[in-house]
Amino acid sequence: MSQAKPISKVAMKVRSVKLREAHKAAAASANNGRGSFCSVLWDQQALHLVTASSSDPSISIHDPLQPSSAPKILRHHRDGVTALAISPNSTCLASGSVDHSVKLYKFPGGEFETNITRFTLPIRALAFNRSGSMLAAAGDDEGIKLINTIDGSIARVLKGHKGPVTGLSFDPNSEYLTSIDSSGTVIYWEIHSGRTLHTLKGIAPDTGSDLSVMNVVSWSPDGETLAVPGLRNDVVMYDRDTAEKLFSLRGDHMQPICFLSWSPNGKYLATSGLDRQVLIWDVDQKQDIDRHKFDDKISCMVWKPIGNALAVIDVMGKYGVWESVVPSSMKSPTADVPNLQSKHSNGLLLFDEEEQGLSASGSLSDLGEDSHGESEPSTRKRLRKQSAYDESLDEDGRDEWNLPPKVESRKKVNHVHKESLNNRNEGLRRITTSASPKMQEAFQPGATPVRDGKRRFLCYNMVGSITTIEHDGYSHIEIDFHDTGRGPRVPSMTDHFGFTMAALNENGSVFANHCKGEKNMSTLMYCPFSTWANNSEWSMRLEGEEVKAVALGTPWVAAITSFNFLRIFTEGGLQKHVLSLDGPVVTASGFKDELAVVSHVSDCLPSNDQMLEFRVFNIANGTQPLRGRLPLTPGSHLTWFGFSEEGQLSSYDSKGVLRVFTSQYGGSWLPLFSASKEKPDENYWVVGLSANKLFCIVCKSPELFPQVMPKPVLTLMNLSFPLASSDLGAEALENEFILNTMHLLQIQKRIEEMAGAGLDTASLDDEAFTMEAAQDRCILRLIASCCNGDKLVRATELVKLLSMEKSVKGAIKLVTALKLPYLAERFNSELEQRLLNENQGTKQTILPTSRAGVGFSKNSTSAETKETSEAVIPLSSPKLTAPLFTKKTKSQEGTKFGIKKTEQNQTPLPDGGKEDRAKNCREGERDRGNVSSTIKSSIAFMKSSDKQEVKRGEEKQVEAHRPSNPFRKSSIR
Amino acid sequence: MAGQSDPNLSLFSAEEVEFIAEDEMVEIVPNLRMDALNFICGDFGPFFPQMATQVPLWLAVALKKRGKCTIRPPLWMSVEKLTQVLEAERDSQRVFEQLPFHYVEISRLLFDHARDDIPDVYMVRSLVEDIRDVRFHKVETNLETLNERALALKINNLSAMEVNIVRPFIGRALQAFYKHDSPELIPDQERISDRRPQVANNAARRHLRR
Repeated sequence: MSQAKPISKVAMKVRSVKLREAHKAAAASANNGRGSFCSVLWDQQALHLVTASSSDPSISIHDPLQPSSAPKILRHHRDGVTALAISPNSTCLASGSVDHSVKLYKFPGGEFETNITRFTLPIRALAFNRSGSMLAAAGDDEGIKLINTIDGSIARVLKGHKGPVTGLSFDPNSEYLTSIDSSGTVIYWEIHSGRTLHTLKGIAPDTGSDLSVMNVVSWSPDGETLAVPGLRNDVVMYDRDTAEKLFSLRGDHMQPICFLSWSPNGKYLATSGLDRQVLIWDVDQKQDIDRHKFDDKISCMVWKPIGNALAVIDVMGKYGVWESVVPSSMKSPTADVPNLQSKHSNGLLLFDEEEQGLSASGSLSDLGEDSHGESEPSTRKRLRKQSAYDESLDEDGRDEWNLPPKVESRKKVNHVHKESLNNRNEGLRRITTSASPKMQEAFQPGATPVRDGKRRFLCYNMVGSITTIEHDGYSHIEIDFHDTGRGPRVPSMTDHFGFTMAALNENGSVFANHCKGEKNMSTLMYCPFSTWANNSEWSMRLEGEEVKAVALGTPWVAAITSFNFLRIFTEGGLQKHVLSLDGPVVTASGFKDELAVVSHVSDCLPSNDQMLEFRVFNIANGTQPLRGRLPLTPGSHLTWFGFSEEGQLSSYDSKGVLRVFTSQYGGSWLPLFSASKEKPDENYWVVGLSANKLFCIVCKSPELFPQVMPKPVLTLMNLSFPLASSDLGAEALENEFILNTMHLLQIQKRIEEMAGAGLDTASLDDEAFTMEAAQDRCILRLIASCCNGDKLVRATELVKLLSMEKSVKGAIKLVTALKLPYLAERFNSELEQRLLNENQGTKQTILPTSRAGVGFSKNSTSAETKETSEAVIPLSSPKLTAPLFTKKTKSQEGTKFGIKKTEQNQTPLPDGGKEDRAKNCREGERDRGNVSSTIKSSIAFMKSSDKQEVKRGEEKQVEAHRPSNPFRKSSIR
Repeated sequence: MAGQSDPNLSLFSAEEVEFIAEDEMVEIVPNLRMDALNFICGDFGPFFPQMATQVPLWLAVALKKRGKCTIRPPLWMSVEKLTQVLEAERDSQRVFEQLPFHYVEISRLLFDHARDDIPDVYMVRSLVEDIRDVRFHKVETNLETLNERALALKINNLSAMEVNIVRPFIGRALQAFYKHDSPELIPDQERISDRRPQVANNAARRHLRR
């Protein structure tokens, strides 16, 4: 209770509040009863005051500036008007009546718009939500109707009250609606789901059948508290989310409170009681700061949106404006109005298209004025004069620009409305996620998310697919192989575990499920497809531990669990190893002996970059050959991870970049595909890849995942590096060049591995040779385009990269034809250099070469040692091994030629130079061998290596257009 | 129409036209792995499961019969496209819509052998039949306007089956007009026709006398 209340002010105010007759019928009916409930409201600019009475069918729109002039009367109802509501932007007025209808009017014109809904019993309360897109209406009927104001559709009917609903209030964040009935029960509703969140029984006075008094509820403008009249002549504040009682305002009211109204900034609260008093409270201080005693009960009050005034109406239908309610020493009730979202929302668009189309000027001025006012909340200049209208006209032009998009958005408001609710929720969620970026969840490569009532993929790879559909609590699993001819036929299974992940290969499939509850245990099950023993499938149960990812190889099964354990089982179900991983797993993939696991290294960066690490285990050898960080496009997450057909580790992220691991530069990831360079309306769902192609399923945007039916078809995409757009204009060629280089390196690596393991490398040699031929062709074409683009330096660089002599000659021919004699000369000197180096190299490098030969072809053992056989080795596969030689001889040459550098005066490119040298060595060596005796060597060759190799060598010569070797020709002759 | 009622009179039988149409390419999705097939008409494949590839219709049908592939219906065989075509056909009396030259045969073969691969097969089938009927009707009505002053006839976008049916009739009709128009040429014409194969000559004469 405030002691410092200035009494003089109260006295002044008594004079200031003069009530005027608005609804005489109310007074008339009051004579034979207790009065009637009357309502009052301001429009947003405080230019109009609207009043209505439950015993008068007319609605009056008064002009508070000219109180003596006659109000505009709207007579559309056939019975008393019990409820009024105005949309937040003041373009639309809604009224509810005892005649069971809810009507909409344009405002401030007052033209009747529509009967937006009808009830079977009188309406008691109306409320717009903050955006104006929804109107809640309730009354003596059992349900509260949520009505879409745009199309008049009933979005929801909320049932729960047992008596007439007398008060409705939308939470300013539009998440909740609260309602109160005449028995004093308050219900919190969640708008988007229509659920009852809290029911507070009997917390407000029971007004019984007294229709002149209605229980009300009101959200504070910041949406944090709900004010409800209490049982002890007080106002009780309830919490927004928990609906717990926070505090109450108790003071001088002698009888229960019948109406309350928050000031626009939520700092003050006006309450009117049955004791005919109106009290003004400072909510923060929990104290009343002012009061006023009236002749009759005040049935409705509303704060002026702009300025310091309160409009009141009593049960006799007399209204008035109480000016300067809050003492000037205190903060104005309109200062610091909480600025919530959706000030300019589709609530503006409550009127029909024809309005904007036909009578554009009229409606524009209306809309313009209102929207203008919104953008300038405290334009006091409007209050000065009637001419405010005229002022607003010149602003119409500006506001006009706002119209078209709004009209558009109105058409799907039904939709938009729901979306906006969702969006808001998402928005909140997004805020929480952006506050702390989330580490990505574990996933199985080739799985699609759950879709209601539809089959989904648990696993889709190059072998086949595992699909599941949930039906009545259990799932049906089907396993299909793409190659129906070869794959075994697996009958469909009924799955009682509810498996959520699976992996598939030619030999079997493994399944696992997440824990659904505390009772449900995580189960791992393996089903082999073909086995000699019956009942060879097995399952493992993990207590208190949850399987996060599974992988399958030959012949092992791996599961990674929530304890960061990597559990390795054999095909038969033997528990072979349990390893502890560093971090939570993201995904895993198997290929033959190798298991690749991706795990989190740390929490993700504030920029939302996932920190991932991959490691490859060799299960057969029990080794970990590779380990490193997994690169991702910034801001993306991993969506697919696996091995290519050749066993190259690959990853695909949500930004559509495919990366393949290579041993180049000490083990690096090469970006080999980028979805952003492809069609923008397609998403690529990766299934696998081969050396040259990416296998994916194309999904039309915004679809990210394929459907099970119809059966998806694999699409082949070319791999390509994200090259910078060069001045050459031959991206395709440049791309091919890099790809070829990469493949050559891969082949060489494999040759080395095979040779190291003592295996036959012949087929790989073939591959390398064809690759080299292709590379030379590509380089020649690049040279051509370089010449055309006048990039001569680049052309000479390219010539040095040619691996075959014939190609160099071809290049010379090419530049001659292009009339570039200078370049031809350079190329010629390059060729000469090669030949020269050959001859020089011959003398020194015979020994190292033969030694190197041991490395790459062990099968020719006997002949290896013989002097004559030196010619043989290159004969079997002369050119293909050039790069290999480079590697092997590099070090030896380095030492040997270190001294003779001056003499050799090699090309500046060290690699190319060495390669040349290596070639020269070989050529020279062959030269010698041939000169010594061709016949001998051929015999030796037959001895040393089998006949097939000869054939292959010959074929190669025919097929791949091997360069004619001048030396050999001479020797044959 | 003359040709439709009497298949003997057309140049090729329907089966023969269908045989020719089997060389058209279609897209299939094989469900087996198979090396490339080398034929006189070209090399097809290699085939990988679930990866679409182009093969001639006869090969597609052969694979389909063995359950080794699904045939992807050509783009024009969709309900939307066919509805469009049908509407356009009905709208214009003279112009024929652009459809594949062998549309009758291709659709027939697919309906016979790959019903399960065509979405909305009943709808598609009835649309194709409607289109065919509308077009045949149009051809017939257009031929009614053929008069003695016509020396040649040009119809764009006529399909193989349609042209096969109307060609003999038009040929003979034009011949007849020509003959009746200039009686002095009759012996001349007969002399020329003596050099032609006997069968065609006889058939033509019989028809004209009737």
